[in-house]
Amino acid sequence: MDPLAPPARPGAGTRAWPSYDPAPFFDELVAPDGAPRPSAEALWTYFAELGADALAERQLAADREIRAIGVTFTVYDEGVGVDRPWPFDIIPRIIPRNQWQVIEAGLVQRLSALNLFIDDCYHDQRAVSEGVVPADLVSGSPNFRRECVGVDPPGGIWVHICGSDLIRDDQGIWYVLEDNLRVPSGVSYLLENRMVTKHIFPEMFRHYSIEPVDPYVGRLAATLASVSPSTGDPTIVVLTPGIYNSAYFEHAFLAQQLGVELVEGGDLVVLDDDCVYARTIDGLEQVDVIYRRVDDVFLDPEVFRADSMLGVPGLMRAWKAGRVALVNAPGAGIADDKKVYSYVPDIIRFYLDEEPILWTIPTFRCSDPASRAHVLANMADLVVKPANESGGYGVLVGSQATDEELATAAKEVEDQPNRWVAQPIIKLSTAPTLCDDAVAPRHVDLRPFTLMGPDGAYVTRGGLTRVARRQGSLVVNSSQGGGSKDTWVVDAPGDEPS
Amino acid sequence: MRYRIEHRTDYHYSAPVSRCRNEAHLRPRDTDRQRCVASDLVVEPAPTGWSERSDFYGNPVAAFVVDGPFTEMTVTAVSTVDVVDGDPLPAVGPGWGEALDLLTNDLSPAMLDAREFCFESPLVSTARIVREYAEPSFPPGAPLVDAVAALTERIHADFLYDPGFTTVTTPLDEVLAHRRGVCQDFAHLAVGCVRSMGLAARYVSGYLETEAPPGEERLVGADASHAWLSVFVPGWGWLDLDPTNDKVVGAGYVTTAWGRDYADVSPLKGIVFGGGDSHLLDVAVDVRHVLAD
Repeated sequence: MDPLAPPARPGAGTRAWPSYDPAPFFDELVAPDGAPRPSAEALWTYFAELGADALAERQLAADREIRAIGVTFTVYDEGVGVDRPWPFDIIPRIIPRNQWQVIEAGLVQRLSALNLFIDDCYHDQRAVSEGVVPADLVSGSPNFRRECVGVDPPGGIWVHICGSDLIRDDQGIWYVLEDNLRVPSGVSYLLENRMVTKHIFPEMFRHYSIEPVDPYVGRLAATLASVSPSTGDPTIVVLTPGIYNSAYFEHAFLAQQLGVELVEGGDLVVLDDDCVYARTIDGLEQVDVIYRRVDDVFLDPEVFRADSMLGVPGLMRAWKAGRVALVNAPGAGIADDKKVYSYVPDIIRFYLDEEPILWTIPTFRCSDPASRAHVLANMADLVVKPANESGGYGVLVGSQATDEELATAAKEVEDQPNRWVAQPIIKLSTAPTLCDDAVAPRHVDLRPFTLMGPDGAYVTRGGLTRVARRQGSLVVNSSQGGGSKDTWVVDAPGDEPS
Repeated sequence: MRYRIEHRTDYHYSAPVSRCRNEAHLRPRDTDRQRCVASDLVVEPAPTGWSERSDFYGNPVAAFVVDGPFTEMTVTAVSTVDVVDGDPLPAVGPGWGEALDLLTNDLSPAMLDAREFCFESPLVSTARIVREYAEPSFPPGAPLVDAVAALTERIHADFLYDPGFTTVTTPLDEVLAHRRGVCQDFAHLAVGCVRSMGLAARYVSGYLETEAPPGEERLVGADASHAWLSVFVPGWGWLDLDPTNDKVVGAGYVTTAWGRDYADVSPLKGIVFGGGDSHLLDVAVDVRHVLAD
């Protein structure tokens, strides 16, 4: 087969998975008639030639490699963290490049607007005084850090690293589900998935134009260096809460990839000159940029939780004095709660004077009496979420909840309506996944990462695709047994809506 | 009226402290009703670092570092404050519904500033149980000032002053369940009630004159720092009420600082390196009426 020729449309005889039927969902690789989408045709043909047994063998090879190089994540079981091998499905998810370019522009637009919003929250609060967002979004948010008011981080950028959650509905329409602006995780798995895939399917990377993901580390290093307060070669460190954190693998991986020290709070000290120093075997060394993977409230016991053993006393003093850069900046979490989420389209129009490129899911704010009544009456058809939490904590999927769970959620909404929002249940798209040697549709989401510094922005090509392992399950979280896939942004015609 | 306030805090640690870093809300702020004439803050052992600033709410804050080793530390604030006499109550004010409407929809700077104090905060919940306690004091159409006065009167009647029952972080549902607490709990509860109705209330820390004027009873909370609430009355300003004594705050009261709740304005807080497993804390407050020069 000539790899440069356009792939022939495979006929019924070459179907890779004859019994594959994604209905009633939108499938990432397979059209409703059972034929591959144009961007997936080459992969399809290749898998058909490979056959089921060879595919299963390659999955085993991938599992062995992940164990051998030690890609793990931690699940908490009865208070004890257990390291598990990273769950990886070898069938990649494919996104046509022309579609990805739109998503990329949408993510950059969104993060630009959110950074302007955060900077505004900690300065004039024009968005509030001009009636774009209500005051409770800022003053009423537990994530509004009054300690950050008046601070000017370089370039006015508070969020340098954003991990967005994207999903597609049954029509294939892309939505942003969450903007994770605090300490988003997952990029190390994205990079490792690609490395393993290259080893498992090297021939695909020779014949197919797949966008690389590995420039991320270099762009991350450049972004971190670009916010350094010193003019010389900056000293950068990765600050981790330690080995018991679920993302410790990633902290270690990124520090190693960046070629910088991985430190814990006790390795750093702030002296009376308000500068941050690392304790090294050669003595104290001044630190310019801290890629911190410790939450705000644990960052500095002088300012936030006094009982925190994870932070560095005086870090906020040093940051406010402009002697050190913190990435992401403290207080950035003001913009990633679910109430702010519901205003992001207005926030984009207000600060950028542009129409939003990406869709936001319609969100009911339970603090509003009419919305609350609607939510309480239709709870079984909605997803109910805490307004101020990040990640998936406390989320209730109405259609999969018991009567008891629904009643408890209804009471909580009525008790503290300002703490809850609700959204329609989106029928997540699916992708072919290896399940017990057969290939079946499983629901997926996507977490791309966006970097933003004073010198510009960068979006990973594709992202980390997470996949639910059980049939019908919408839970893709790795901690809940979800798996992952490599994501290929390919130079191929796309027929899907964007 | 001029007052002299002495506020002394003694720390005794079970092991030597190598270093501590503290923040003090001990210097009384200027307000519409008072002016701080002088304020001296003395720390022993002598601090090795000292800085002063205003916090987010405009309260004076002193930050200091003390290097050890030491096992005892004393912080003494001596302040002189002039407080105006006169009736602190507004003659008329808006209905609470009207106030709610202004606070929700009006975008003038005064309303936006007040809105900072409309929402739950770390120590003040606005959950349904708080609102259910508040509602009987807020009948439709009632003037805001009357509603809040009725609320503080009810808290005074319903709750038992019981030092030792609560701590600085006792949540409101516990205070409501046991119907007891100290001035700080009653201030938090009143603030939560007002906010649960969508209105603006702030937590005020300050002092009461230690000895009552001749012929009057000594007020509860006079031997320590005191706390009360302040309610925003649109078109008029902030009205201070003391639910612990069921009084409108006027003569005999001195304001130190205000914020959303105790956590914003605690008189002294900090972190200690060393110091062993336990420490003892003694607080002594003396507030006297003195003659102006």
